[in-house]
Amino acid sequence: MQHLAIAPILLPLLAGAIMIPMDDQRGRLRAALGVASALGLLAIAIALAFLADAGDAAPVFVYRLGNWPAQFGIVLVVDRLAAMLLLLSAVLGLAALLFSLVRWQRMGAHFHALFQFQLMGLNGAFLTGDLFNLFVFFEVLLAASYGLALHGSGVARVKAGLHYIAINLAASLLFLIGVSMIYGVAGTLNMADLAARIPALPAEDRPLLEAGAAILAMAFLAKAAMWPMGFWLAPTYSAASPPAAAIFSMMSKVGFYAVLRLSLLLFGAEAGASAGFGSTWLFLGGLATIAFGAISVLATQDLSRLAGASVLISSGTSLAALGAGQEAVTSGALFYLASSALAIGAFFLLVELLERGREVGADVLAVTQEAYGGKTEEDEEEVEVGTPIPATMAVLGGCFLCCALVLAGLPPLSGFIAKFAMLDGILNPQGLGQGAAAVPPDGWALLAALILSGLATVLAMTRAGIRSLWAATDRAVPRVGVVEIAPILLLLGLCIGMTAGAGPVLRYMQATASALHTAPSYMGSVVPVDGTTEARP
Amino acid sequence: MPDALYLSTAIGLPYLGALVTALLPANARRLESWLAGAVALLTLTMVWLCYYPTIAEGGVVRAEIAWVPQLGLNLVLRLDGLASVFAVMVAGIGLLVVLYARYYMSSDDPIPRFFAFLLAFMGSMMGLVLSGNLIQLVFFWELTSLFSFLLIGYWQHSAQARDGARMALTVTASGGLALLAGVLLLGHIVGSYDLDRVLASGDVIRAHPLYLPALVLVLLGALTKSAQFPFHFWLPHAMAAPTPVSAYLHSATLVKAGIFLMARLWPVMAGTDAWFWILGSAGMITLLLGAYVAIFQHDMKGLLAYSTISHLGLITVLLSLNSPLAMVAAIFHTMNHATFKASLFMAAGIIDHETGTRDIRRLSGLNATMPFTARLAMVAAAAMAGVPLLNGFISKEMFITETLSASTAPTLLHSLLPLGAALASIFAVAYSLRFIHGAFFGPTTGDMPHTPHEPPQWMRLPVEVLVFGCMVVGILPAATIGPFLDVAVRSVLGEATPYYSLAVWHGFNLPLVMSLIALAGGALLYRLLQRHLNAGIDGTPLLRRLDGRRLFDRVMVFLSWRFARTLERLLGTSRLQTQLRLMVCVTILAAVLALAPHDFGLGVLQLSPADPVIGLVWLAGSLCALAAAYQAKYHRLAALVLLGGAGLAVCITFVWFSAPDLAVTQLLVEVVTTVLLLLGLRWMPKRLELAGSGRLLSRLRRYRDFAIALGAGLGLTAISYATMTRVSPEGISRFFLERAYTEGGGTNVVNVILVDFRGFDTFGEITVLCIVALTVFALLRRFRPAPESIGVPDQQQGDVRNWMMVPAVTMKLLFPLIGVVAVYLLLRGHDLPGGGFAGGLMLAIAILLQYMAGGTRWVEDHLRVHPLRWMSAGLLLAGGTGLAAMAFGQPFLTSYFAYADLGWLGKLPVASALIFDIGVFALVFGATVLMLIAIAHQSVRSQRAAPTPPPAPQEER
Repeated sequence: MQHLAIAPILLPLLAGAIMIPMDDQRGRLRAALGVASALGLLAIAIALAFLADAGDAAPVFVYRLGNWPAQFGIVLVVDRLAAMLLLLSAVLGLAALLFSLVRWQRMGAHFHALFQFQLMGLNGAFLTGDLFNLFVFFEVLLAASYGLALHGSGVARVKAGLHYIAINLAASLLFLIGVSMIYGVAGTLNMADLAARIPALPAEDRPLLEAGAAILAMAFLAKAAMWPMGFWLAPTYSAASPPAAAIFSMMSKVGFYAVLRLSLLLFGAEAGASAGFGSTWLFLGGLATIAFGAISVLATQDLSRLAGASVLISSGTSLAALGAGQEAVTSGALFYLASSALAIGAFFLLVELLERGREVGADVLAVTQEAYGGKTEEDEEEVEVGTPIPATMAVLGGCFLCCALVLAGLPPLSGFIAKFAMLDGILNPQGLGQGAAAVPPDGWALLAALILSGLATVLAMTRAGIRSLWAATDRAVPRVGVVEIAPILLLLGLCIGMTAGAGPVLRYMQATASALHTAPSYMGSVVPVDGTTEARP
Repeated sequence: MPDALYLSTAIGLPYLGALVTALLPANARRLESWLAGAVALLTLTMVWLCYYPTIAEGGVVRAEIAWVPQLGLNLVLRLDGLASVFAVMVAGIGLLVVLYARYYMSSDDPIPRFFAFLLAFMGSMMGLVLSGNLIQLVFFWELTSLFSFLLIGYWQHSAQARDGARMALTVTASGGLALLAGVLLLGHIVGSYDLDRVLASGDVIRAHPLYLPALVLVLLGALTKSAQFPFHFWLPHAMAAPTPVSAYLHSATLVKAGIFLMARLWPVMAGTDAWFWILGSAGMITLLLGAYVAIFQHDMKGLLAYSTISHLGLITVLLSLNSPLAMVAAIFHTMNHATFKASLFMAAGIIDHETGTRDIRRLSGLNATMPFTARLAMVAAAAMAGVPLLNGFISKEMFITETLSASTAPTLLHSLLPLGAALASIFAVAYSLRFIHGAFFGPTTGDMPHTPHEPPQWMRLPVEVLVFGCMVVGILPAATIGPFLDVAVRSVLGEATPYYSLAVWHGFNLPLVMSLIALAGGALLYRLLQRHLNAGIDGTPLLRRLDGRRLFDRVMVFLSWRFARTLERLLGTSRLQTQLRLMVCVTILAAVLALAPHDFGLGVLQLSPADPVIGLVWLAGSLCALAAAYQAKYHRLAALVLLGGAGLAVCITFVWFSAPDLAVTQLLVEVVTTVLLLLGLRWMPKRLELAGSGRLLSRLRRYRDFAIALGAGLGLTAISYATMTRVSPEGISRFFLERAYTEGGGTNVVNVILVDFRGFDTFGEITVLCIVALTVFALLRRFRPAPESIGVPDQQQGDVRNWMMVPAVTMKLLFPLIGVVAVYLLLRGHDLPGGGFAGGLMLAIAILLQYMAGGTRWVEDHLRVHPLRWMSAGLLLAGGTGLAAMAFGQPFLTSYFAYADLGWLGKLPVASALIFDIGVFALVFGATVLMLIAIAHQSVRSQRAAPTPPPAPQEER
């Protein structure tokens, strides 16, 4: 049972390792293996979520790798937050993988292995309870994302992909600097141990630790695309192949996850003099990101750029909500995170179907194609989509509408509930009718930002939707396969499910937020309070 | 409980019907309209079932379904008098519209979509009026915006429909967002979103400091929805919708949602000056503006649209007056307007359908060609004008009475009310006359596309029903509509319900005189304007420049194009250099901000004396690094070589400070990366120093970047120095030193940390290496070099073999030797410097040398390495070692060690970590070779493709 905690890392790793030497002749087997692994991950994530939700605030599993005591070895920690994010990445992974089966898997080498490693990196980052191990998994997921961002080649992809690589390498450098500084001052890498040591830190060491944390945060915030460090996001995501972009919609949540986990654990209410460190800056950065995202959403005419810009808004909203520092807002933000990740993933997949009319592969990188004697190893194949679906435009239109509604936070889908939960949390932090304290100015700012960014999204989505679905009447109806539309329907179906079952889902999020805001429950179960370390047998 | 069932059916049924309809085949017109009709009828029945007996006796039917109880958001279905009046309008007129649409819609139109949207809209309206929770109300409010958008844009091939739909959605959805904010404020003030709680807290709300913001936000929602000035402009453009949609949306439903909301919240939000001033001024302007503009419309639907705006303004003015009697009039007029306006829209649709045009200038003499329809339309238009014995007259007279009684108040707006009312009435008579006279009278030989004739009888039926209603209510108000109006009014006003009389004749009084003056004045005005109108000039006199649509378009273009683009350009960038610069600067700022508030001091530890030798090494290393940065832009080769120098300095430092493991690894990594980069350089296009690059600006830019780099470097130095000069905390390193041998089974602590204590990190890092190799391979497989680097470089021209002979032979001879060293490094790793990582790199270097010595073809003919298999095997081996521990009930990667006695060879320490390390070895080797092969094959491929050089002397191999 205990081993379930590491399964989300090992399963994709082993699947990926087996896939590496498989060539295209065994493509079917490879694809089947990939889907089986994704399904397995989904099952494991569901089980973990149920187990995590059954207990109290403390993590359900603390998995000590190599059976070393927590401070010295590496631990994996499964709590509600980790389980929820595992579940999200499993769902998005499955959807993106299914989508890729029709044609994208053949657009480059080693797609399936890279995809499995991407899932492994994501899962590891969510699970680990060790700061340096977090770096390792960041590297895993980044390395895989480099491969996936470049998957399919083409001028735009390579250009954006190389920018992406350069920026993330710089961010990784910051990560290392930050971790080293924290280790140098606090003498531990285990997150829980670190949280336990921070309150007792001597005053002269505190500035160094906080500077280390600030530098570390920059690495995460660059990943979460906070303004002004997120300009790479929209070009990269919109140029990436749709399945890659769909899983990236989860990846940009990793940066936010790290900030969420660490800021509340290390600088929560119990952190002594460091309590609340940086939350003002998170809040302001989040607001700036929302503003920039809203501007980009308005300024773009292109569907995939629009999707990329929505990621910015989503990131900014999460960061600002976290910066607000209220448990009620955090739970709304978690709900929002889940709903927007699903919708953005679906949107990236959908965009490709909507724009399918265009010439595919016209942008192959190669002025020198003729120098190589025309076509080489992988020629573009005819678009073969399997069983096409009926009433294509109606289905695509419906899906577009759903994506737009979730992203704009309009009723009746989960985006509305998410926004409402955050707004209600801002206005009534203690709960509705539980003492109507005056709302602070930052609350008003966040309220305005949430509503106005929703408005900007409505405007942009309406314009884009009308142009691509209504105005282009003479265009050929794209051929869309069942296997391609099914993942989109799955993701949007979950958004609908999150609306109908908003009560239980939100209860889970509230329990998560409450556990996050009480760091000792996490610390206590990872590092025993009395200082004893279980001896290694 | 049946009440709850009825209520949820009333909302759920239309949605269900919409879903079913959407799934029906496109050619099942009959079935779809029957279905839609049945749904509307059933919905109406459900409301009716609730109405008797509970509502009729002044009760409230209420059902609650848990949804998100934590946030005070439950589905509360609540039917009272006011809601039931609106629900009956929604379902009843919906039924008539379905019947009408059955005949109106052409067989070319996609019918399932039409009925699906219409039913979904009906469901949303039902949800809205039956809401017992404010958030739920907003929920359905936005749904009505959404479905009205889809309905208005139904004929999506027409640009007008698209623009009209977009405008409607933009305005109403924005208003909806404002309403959401307002409702949240109300919830915050009251402490609940439940309507009953809110309705009981009027005094709290009006006294709260947030009352004004809440009021403004809520009214923004209501005024946008009900098309009140200055948000009225979307409504006329929504006329691009099919006529049944206009008849439904703009008579009884969509635009009345705003009125409903104001009436709903009237008991708790009205009664203040702010309420009066906002609604009174907006309503009065809308009333006059709409009526005035309506006169000059040539399109029948346009005329009706502006008249709708004007009538909505009238109702808004009534609601603004803060008087219970005005409230009665407002509800009454809402009902009346719904009946006559729906019938007029339908009549206009019939005319359009049968004649092919709606342009009043082209229509003429329809009284003769389609007499029955003409009479119906005339009666309805008379109701709209407020002619006695029709329902419009009674409510309009109540309106005039109310404005007169309100005018005693001191403010200017109050005293202007009767004047405005009179003027608007005159306009209303004029546009009604225009509607009747323009279309139905005159010669029968108009300029019409089709010859006009009567429509099918069933298409006329809805109009007949509605016009009948207008007449009955107009003649016998108290006996027909009286009880319903009373229930509605009582549900809003409760105890404060005033005495009022619904009668046609109230004696000869001032309101009657004003009504008569309006009739006469309107007729006179029409007579005076007839010449102008017949001239057929487009646009409204005096107001030609006030074009809401153009303003809207301009704002939209400005917002989404100029403003957003400019800001995006100013606040964003797509340049990599700028982004990296920003990242560094922000990080510096973050670190400084974190340090600034504290006393940042260096540590207490003393420095050990500097050694001149290592100092020199460092000087050389630093100079190399600086020079590399200086050369990086134009002289990549030089920069790479210099980087190697810097790396070497680091290696020596590691040796100096007794870290042989790091030194070995660093050295091998330096070798491999430098060689791979050198191989890659071959494919990079040359970078030439351009003439303009020495300009002042670009030089300044470089200086600035240098300054930033210097700042970052110095800052990092300061921080590192401060960290290293303090006493290190009681950390975890002592634990590693103590237990490496006793529990990890190795004397090389670094290696034990890597493969045991933190073996999971190593596991992750080798995965990274594996992924990177795969990425490089995948990228290079599709890589096509720039044209200028395709040709064979000078160095490879001619016979390479001769002058490479000696090094080549040496390298080939070294191969087995290096291989043995690699395995040696691997095996001794657990106790002495070495390990799987170093060993794998070493073996890769052996292969690398072979490629360099013999060329790609030669190597691959003699020795086939399958890097993918090596990588896979390495990863599986490492993973398998970890998994094996699970078989013994231990966590992943738990290690085991023992000594194997190999006889005369001695004892060999066998730790499970060794197997793990072999996995590392295999993977590192495979990954490095994969990258090597990926780059090496570029040249094979380019030689194959390049047409030129004659086959090189290869036969001697």
